[in-house]
Amino acid sequence: MSTNLTPATGAARPHRKDHPLWFLIPALAVLVVFFFVPTLFNFVYAFTDWSSFKSEINFAGFDNFASLFGNGTLLNALKVTLVYAVLVAIFQNLFGLGLALLLERDTRVNRAVRVAFFVPVIMSALAVGYIFQALLKPDGALNGIIGLLTGSDVSIPWLGNTTWTIVVVAIVHAWKWMGLSMLIYLAGLKTIGDDVLEAGRLDGAGRWTMFRSIKFPLLAPAVTFNVATALLGSMNGFDIVQATTEGGPGGTTELLNIFIFRTFGQGLFAQATTMSLVLFLTVTVLAFPVIRFLRKREDVL
Amino acid sequence: MKKPFRYTLALAAAGAMALTACADPGADSGSGGPVDWPAQDADLSGTTLTIWAAQNSNTVPDSVIAGFEELTGAEVEVVTVPDPYEQGVQTKVATGDKPDLAFWQPTASQLTALNASQNLQPLDDAPWLDAYEPELRDITGILDGTRYATLITTPAVQGVYYNKEVFAANGITEAPADWGAFVELARDLKADGVTPFHEMGADRWGTQWWVQVQLADAAADGLWDRVNAAEEEFTDPAIQGAIDTYNDLIEEGLFNEDIKTATFEDQGAALLAGDAAMVVQVNSFFGQLQSLADTDELNEKIGFFPIAPSGNVGTFIPDQSNALVAFRTGDADQESAARQLLSYWMGEGYQGFVDAQSTVSLQSGVDTPADVPDALLSVSESLGGSVGSMQASAIANPDLYIYLADMIQGTKTPAEVAEATQSQFNELAKAQGAEGF
Repeated sequence: MSTNLTPATGAARPHRKDHPLWFLIPALAVLVVFFFVPTLFNFVYAFTDWSSFKSEINFAGFDNFASLFGNGTLLNALKVTLVYAVLVAIFQNLFGLGLALLLERDTRVNRAVRVAFFVPVIMSALAVGYIFQALLKPDGALNGIIGLLTGSDVSIPWLGNTTWTIVVVAIVHAWKWMGLSMLIYLAGLKTIGDDVLEAGRLDGAGRWTMFRSIKFPLLAPAVTFNVATALLGSMNGFDIVQATTEGGPGGTTELLNIFIFRTFGQGLFAQATTMSLVLFLTVTVLAFPVIRFLRKREDVL
Repeated sequence: MKKPFRYTLALAAAGAMALTACADPGADSGSGGPVDWPAQDADLSGTTLTIWAAQNSNTVPDSVIAGFEELTGAEVEVVTVPDPYEQGVQTKVATGDKPDLAFWQPTASQLTALNASQNLQPLDDAPWLDAYEPELRDITGILDGTRYATLITTPAVQGVYYNKEVFAANGITEAPADWGAFVELARDLKADGVTPFHEMGADRWGTQWWVQVQLADAAADGLWDRVNAAEEEFTDPAIQGAIDTYNDLIEEGLFNEDIKTATFEDQGAALLAGDAAMVVQVNSFFGQLQSLADTDELNEKIGFFPIAPSGNVGTFIPDQSNALVAFRTGDADQESAARQLLSYWMGEGYQGFVDAQSTVSLQSGVDTPADVPDALLSVSESLGGSVGSMQASAIANPDLYIYLADMIQGTKTPAEVAEATQSQFNELAKAQGAEGF
């Protein structure tokens, strides 16, 4: 539709003829079958008693919601998910922005290093999880290295601490995705005009002032995209946490998706669907104000 | 432009809804029980049977399949369903995908989870039943009075694996005869500077055995029937008491120091090396030991005794690799061929099967091969007098082990463990339509 160069004025809309509506059907069919219907069913099944224990599926009203909110597990999982998402958003953006600033200049070395930092993004998340699980074991490589440096026997249970393990896992998640944030920040930095930077330099701005007053404000659109995708994407996190801690220790990293997986495994399909509906709604409810706030930041400029 | 687009979308959605809404996953027309059991060598040329197996059971049927294919001309395919196996199978069956046969935990809770009365063939009049050792014939595989699963190997027994050398070095010549003596023994060992027990808090699943072995006497007295009928709860004294005792023993320091981070692999290595004297575990733990040492070394070092409050009573817990179920596929010939394969497996093929697997025979007429390790013989000897575990006897299998692991990590109190387990049990029982929930 945007290819139509002549403005559509008056009653006659000539582009209708060369783009008939039925051209939409193949794409629409894919959209409906693979996106629309599953989402719809996510809503429908949440109000039934679908389980692996019987063949018939009956309407159950708000029963699933009542029992899920009745015991604290769902709220706890929701809390863990939010904490995890915020941590990932912070770390991933800090790492990504730091890398982008470090590798900003287009030298040959920088190009190679950028590729190296992008490799984790295309790696399988489960593989990343299992690698870190091995590295972070009490007798794993990380403790070995620390032990070598300090000259003492170190056996810190990185993945066995009920307070700090969620931070460790969030850092692993951020490590995997930081290359993507880096790429977007790099693209953002490229859009900053040389004249602006030069003017800043002529005014005597140092590195820090240049970053704080010019680069960072002008990166606002990149920040919006990176924060929103990291925050909302990690709300749907599962693979890395499942591979490293399986929700442990003591349920302190049990994301909602892990809880859903466990519930589904118990055969309580309707309840698992209800939970994923709750997750869907939470992400939606969170997405609007977050994106609006970040967009507002862009407007101020 | 906008309006017709919306209209089309709504129409397409409505169409798709109408199409899919009729499909009822898991629905199947229940036919009557099979009456005929074909001869083991009946010709099956052109028939292909599918067996679903887990990653740790997919080579179990090899010898049987080879023999059966040669005898009947049938073709048998083993399809590996990735772990977590039970979850994968349940999901496939719920969406209408079924094999002819599958490895399956023959317990009431897991047969219920598969919706046995709808999806599985009853095996009530199977020809091999009388060949079983009498006390093993009806031990498991039965739901609501109908037999749906056939046991092929000895089910696991929860009990104590101990290091014989550590026992000998501390002057212990006899296994403790009851719970009191068992705990006393642990305290003596600790006083001598030996770590009495080893638990794997990080891998979680082994934690539940400690609670379950303490419930053996109550289980013999119908504990799980009462729990199934909502007459008794996990928070009532029997089960809560067992959880409390477990917690007390941990706090007393009778377990390994790294209980929070220890894994299944650590547990096997610790017992074999004598770093810990005893481990409460099931047969798969012995499988882990077998990957670390040969039969001679294991016979020398590792022993097994069952334990319960009142004496040496084991608690059995069959798992997926111990049994097979036959599915109702709706195709009478396929169903009959599946029954024929089971007949052969438990009939002419059984000696070859136990020999190939080096496993204990369940049938009085079939000999156990000589290379079965001593500890496994002790396990299978304890089976006859053992009682059902939660998995074997309760209608639902809540994640007790996760909550107990939470307790070890310090995020749940013993009381919260019981509450969380009961609340999950209620949900599962309600979903099954069990009375009283």
